[in-house]
Amino acid sequence: MTEVRLVDVEKRYGAFLALPKQSLTIEEGEFLVLLGPSGCGKTTTMRMIAGLEDITSGDILIGDERVNDKPPKDRDIAMVFQNYGLYPHMTVAQNIGYPLKLRGMDRAKRNERVLEIAKKVELETLLKRRPSELSGGQRQRVALARAIVRTPKIFLMDEPLSNLDAKLRVTMRAELKHLHYELGVTTVYVTHDQMEAMTLASRIAVMREGRIVQLDTPKKIYSEPIDLFVAGFIGSPSMNLIEGAVENGFFVAKGVKIPVQLADRRDVVLGVRPEDLEIVKQEGAAITAPAYALELTGESTLLTVKDGATSICVRGPADLETKIDEVCYLAPQAGGRIHLFDKSTGTRIDA
Amino acid sequence: MKNRIYWAIERTLLLLVSFVVLFPIFWMFLTSLKKPRDAYSITLNFQPTLENFATVFADPWNLGSMVLNSVIVAGVTVLIAVPCASLAAYSFSRFRVKGRKILFFLVLSTQFIPAVVIVLPFFLMFRSLGLLDTRIALIIVNLAIVTPFVIWMIKGFIDAIPVDSEEAALIDGASRLRVIRDIVLPMAAPGILTSSIFCFILTWNEFLFSLILTRRDAVTLPVGLVNFRTERGDLWELMSAAGVMITVPIFIMAILIQKHFTRGMTAGAIK
Repeated sequence: MTEVRLVDVEKRYGAFLALPKQSLTIEEGEFLVLLGPSGCGKTTTMRMIAGLEDITSGDILIGDERVNDKPPKDRDIAMVFQNYGLYPHMTVAQNIGYPLKLRGMDRAKRNERVLEIAKKVELETLLKRRPSELSGGQRQRVALARAIVRTPKIFLMDEPLSNLDAKLRVTMRAELKHLHYELGVTTVYVTHDQMEAMTLASRIAVMREGRIVQLDTPKKIYSEPIDLFVAGFIGSPSMNLIEGAVENGFFVAKGVKIPVQLADRRDVVLGVRPEDLEIVKQEGAAITAPAYALELTGESTLLTVKDGATSICVRGPADLETKIDEVCYLAPQAGGRIHLFDKSTGTRIDA
Repeated sequence: MKNRIYWAIERTLLLLVSFVVLFPIFWMFLTSLKKPRDAYSITLNFQPTLENFATVFADPWNLGSMVLNSVIVAGVTVLIAVPCASLAAYSFSRFRVKGRKILFFLVLSTQFIPAVVIVLPFFLMFRSLGLLDTRIALIIVNLAIVTPFVIWMIKGFIDAIPVDSEEAALIDGASRLRVIRDIVLPMAAPGILTSSIFCFILTWNEFLFSLILTRRDAVTLPVGLVNFRTERGDLWELMSAAGVMITVPIFIMAILIQKHFTRGMTAGAIK
């Protein structure tokens, strides 16, 4: 188990600044998720830790060792690639055993270990096949098995689930989580899927344009997003963001009047998650707007109301019945969270 | 209806082209089996004989030593060119070195120079080195001609191999050379084999340099063919027999290439 530290690390491609100077500490045994839209630098960050990408300045430390100039093979890491990076000319057993072979483990011991790991990921019947004869999910498990066949100091995973179908993804997610619990190895995981990040991470680093915007536990990122970008990125369906102003202790916008504890201010964005709203009678209404769409998800119904440009989504009971265009009344739930952001800078305003 | 007409035209054209290309070769095979008196007749009705093959290998033609020269020159050229070119191609494909594009252009630019322009300088060079009429001279010249071409060809094959597997191997604990040995070479093998055969064929068929740089000892097969134009006239049946000797190895290799070429080794590497 090892701590990974990035100290004042910067990455440039010629004149292009890919990752501005920043530091990041990944704690021992932690499952850190780098989350962000494509092109935000999360994969580059991971590849720099792996040694597949040079860093322009700064230091990377694995444990207490500075690894800037060490080739990937000497960093004692294992990585699962988005496209798996299997060896097509080798059998499944050879693929899984390759890291051991490179470390000079003798054949008998190697075969034993490969079988043990293959059983763990349920590949033991496929050991003689080649990657081309496997399904996507099976290939993914080969890649995983190859990573865990020895115990590295850190695991790196680059969107390992993105090529799987939705159902398999959920299953594999649970398996990854359990595996991390079982092995306790420091893990860095890259994804653009906020759901994966929320469910897997001990901490999430939300990245945008090369910068880590917020680094915190999933709970904290969900309940206290630091700015509009994080607020909109985390959560599904995403947080309702309503533009308006604060007047006399109320946030007001078209059809919206919600009490807030904030001095009068213009250009404010109010954020409220669908599950923090509820459908009420006319008397208690904070939001009044006609129904726009009704979506049954199974355990609940998502009701979207829309008045002009603002559309607001609320999570209601599964048996909710409302006609389209019928006027609806919504209010924040008791104990529901309301977030206020500055419209121009996007930063959170704390009351 | 339209499709059928299209199909018919296509087939007719294909047959026509095949005929133009294949008929002379077919005729050469026939002629190589004819007695001298049948060589000029257009009949298919003749007594086949293998006499011509015996004649060309005997004195004064001694085709055997030419076959040996050709095999050694082409073989050694392949053995040196392909490993060097493979490493060069890998570097060009994977490393982002400064001036990489210019370097690669320079490698390719060697192919823009017509052979006739450099054949005389080569002749003078080898004369002062005392290497005229030696196999070594031919190997050096052929290496110069073939290596850039093979680099370019193998680079194409290596470019097509996904980098993911290589990076995975680097992280699994392999050094760069180990990656090349364990991952790149097996995956590029069909391409490298194809390039080797191509390289062999190019060298095997090379005529101009061999004609100028050799006289007696190091003469290769294509130049040897010219010997059959004598003061007694063109000895077509012997020339055909020698022609068959040149063609058959290439035929066999072409068939070998085809078998390996269609097998996609990179399938299943990703996704």
